[in-house]
Amino acid sequence: MTDSDSRWRALLHRIVYASAFERMVISLAALVLSILVGGVLILVSGRLTTCPTAATTYLGVGFCYDPITVFDRLFFGALGDPMNPLFKPFAGEFAAPFRAGWSPFNAEMAVTLRETTVLIFTGLSVAVAFRADVFNIGTQGQLVVGAITSAVSLTALGPVAPSGIAGSLVLIPAGLLAGAIAGGLYGAIPGALKAYADANEVITTIMLNFVAAKVALFLVSGPLQRADSQIAQTEPIPAAASIPSVLFDARTGFSLVALAVAVCTALACYYLLNHTTLGYELRTSGLQAAAARYAGVKTDRTIVGSLVLSGALGGLGGAIYVMMIVGDFQTGVPSYGFDGITVAILAGSNPLGVLLAAPLFGIIQSGSIVIDTTTNVPPQLVDVLRGLIVLFVAMPEFFRQFGRRFFDDDGGEIDG
Amino acid sequence: MTTEVRSMAEIAQRLKRRWLELVLVSALLLALGVLFSTTGLTLGDVISKRFLGATLRLSVPIAFAALGGIFAEKSGVINIGLEGHLIIAAFAAIAGVIMTGSVWAGFLAGILASTLFAVLFAIVCIEFQADQVIAGLAIWLVALGLGPFLSTVLYGSVNTPQTGSFQTITIPGLASLPVIGALFDVTPPVYLLYVAVIGCWYVLNHTAFGRWVNASGENPQALDTAGIDVIRVRYVSVILSGVLAGIGGAGYALSIGQFTGSGETMIGGRGFIAVVAYLLGNYNPIGAFLSTALFAGLQTLQIQLQTGVLPASLVQTVPYITVIVVLAAVGHTRTPAAAGEHYESGDE
Repeated sequence: MTDSDSRWRALLHRIVYASAFERMVISLAALVLSILVGGVLILVSGRLTTCPTAATTYLGVGFCYDPITVFDRLFFGALGDPMNPLFKPFAGEFAAPFRAGWSPFNAEMAVTLRETTVLIFTGLSVAVAFRADVFNIGTQGQLVVGAITSAVSLTALGPVAPSGIAGSLVLIPAGLLAGAIAGGLYGAIPGALKAYADANEVITTIMLNFVAAKVALFLVSGPLQRADSQIAQTEPIPAAASIPSVLFDARTGFSLVALAVAVCTALACYYLLNHTTLGYELRTSGLQAAAARYAGVKTDRTIVGSLVLSGALGGLGGAIYVMMIVGDFQTGVPSYGFDGITVAILAGSNPLGVLLAAPLFGIIQSGSIVIDTTTNVPPQLVDVLRGLIVLFVAMPEFFRQFGRRFFDDDGGEIDG
Repeated sequence: MTTEVRSMAEIAQRLKRRWLELVLVSALLLALGVLFSTTGLTLGDVISKRFLGATLRLSVPIAFAALGGIFAEKSGVINIGLEGHLIIAAFAAIAGVIMTGSVWAGFLAGILASTLFAVLFAIVCIEFQADQVIAGLAIWLVALGLGPFLSTVLYGSVNTPQTGSFQTITIPGLASLPVIGALFDVTPPVYLLYVAVIGCWYVLNHTAFGRWVNASGENPQALDTAGIDVIRVRYVSVILSGVLAGIGGAGYALSIGQFTGSGETMIGGRGFIAVVAYLLGNYNPIGAFLSTALFAGLQTLQIQLQTGVLPASLVQTVPYITVIVVLAAVGHTRTPAAAGEHYESGDE
């Protein structure tokens, strides 16, 4: 065995077994595998449907959908097509990699970052609860409750708030606070039910998602409906309460300020989990409830606390959704909460990991709009990918066995 | 000394729970009282053939999924993805009818699709030792995406076209009995449900396989020592949960004759309600059927109340809130000792 060969083996060994690094590799592998399975699904469904001309032909068989086009649109479309068509490194042509006229402040990029911003909040919401071994599937409901509360409070505060910049400085924090408090309180319900009545939080949070959606529908199509509106929406929030956009076109509904708030929230969550007593209590009660109780951690209170915090983060996401994207509350809120589950799982429940996984999912969400407008593939494809990613991340043992079989000939004695 | 301290704590815990149960039950009774007094609904509306028939129809997806969930969880694999099985079975059943023109062929297609999902779930959980709750959620999320996706690919919309559906079979004589006659004037999936409830109860309590399923969840080492392959028992149980949930999803879709995939799809959380139904029924198929009847009855009530004075969207929350209240009241159900844990045979 040559020296470089053994060094390679050592590296691969680390890739296969090292636990911190391993998580990232598994997340990446899960992503790649989801894309491959998604590609097969695109091909198969391209045979099930009918079209006048085949989009692509493999081995003499025509397919209505071309997976390569779909994934090209999904990923590059979401960034506003940054690649120069003349840049073909594999063909030995090295033109400028970025297309002339491409600006990072384009509309597709704005949508990507807009989705990313909300997904950071929902991803953190699920991740924080996961760390305490609490499955909060209710981020969607907490987001809806936070969004509607934020919209209603801002409309109420509008007339009494000062005008101009001073108004924004009062209203924006007030809207965020209202969303966080409402989301936190809604999260406290499954928290208390789990801590004091042993009610499984997976079920209660899913049920509370339905309740939130139905009650929100009742409110915006009844008592809180906008006076002159035919559709279910609340009164618009005051102009001073919209989060100002910087560098990007205001019509895209994206604000760099909001993204900065999201990133700071992620850093704050990281600090909270890893460097504070509360974070220690959350993590230990997540790892080993009995041991935590022995160490003096009040596990009941910790469970409620983790769900309040988780709900508050979901509620913040809802407030941002209202104040940055829609400008009022409407029914038909996108499934940010469910995407948050994927983001958190992909991130290994690490707040810093959320900062990597959220943009990836922002791209996928934004790309699904590009797919809808430029190809004939249904954009619901993205929802399938979401499920596949969660499925594959949930089975690390699959990748370990795969890794062992291909990279390790010492046998499976060493366990990760 | 320590045991004494623990038992004191346990007594306190138990007292707290009794008190909690009392509060929850009185809240539920109060809510029902308010419901009846404000809507002018009479007891006669509830104790009627129409009400019972509708309740039985709505019981199909919940009860079959609950029966499936019992087998999986008793064997040690928590199948929280029952919702996903119902969704994919409902879609495949309708697609099957559209492709073949036969309702029964569609029914089989739905069961097959759900069973394939169960095989996938079993491999992921048993072979690759995945976290069962996350894998179950993944099965739900995949189905939630795949049903509407395939519907759009095939029919251009997340909702399929209307197709043929199961016709009711009326048993002469029995069907003309007052009120309970409704039990004998139903579609084939409801008759299948009667058979399945009794059958599952019999298999779990009076056959060797039932004892293996029980042991596989309670004490897998002992089962292994007795020479029974724990892994195989778990595979069979999980796949059986897919077959049963498939009957539920396909039967439900074929009583309506359409798959609707917008929002949370036509299944709308019934798979999760099923989990609560079997917990409330304490893993007993007959108990699970009775608690299903409670939830399905509330859904029927909710549909009837929508024509009343209360806003429809608020009335629709009643079944979901009831699930939460019931879950809180029965939260202390003892789950099988080894549920959620991976079992590794000693001789490997």
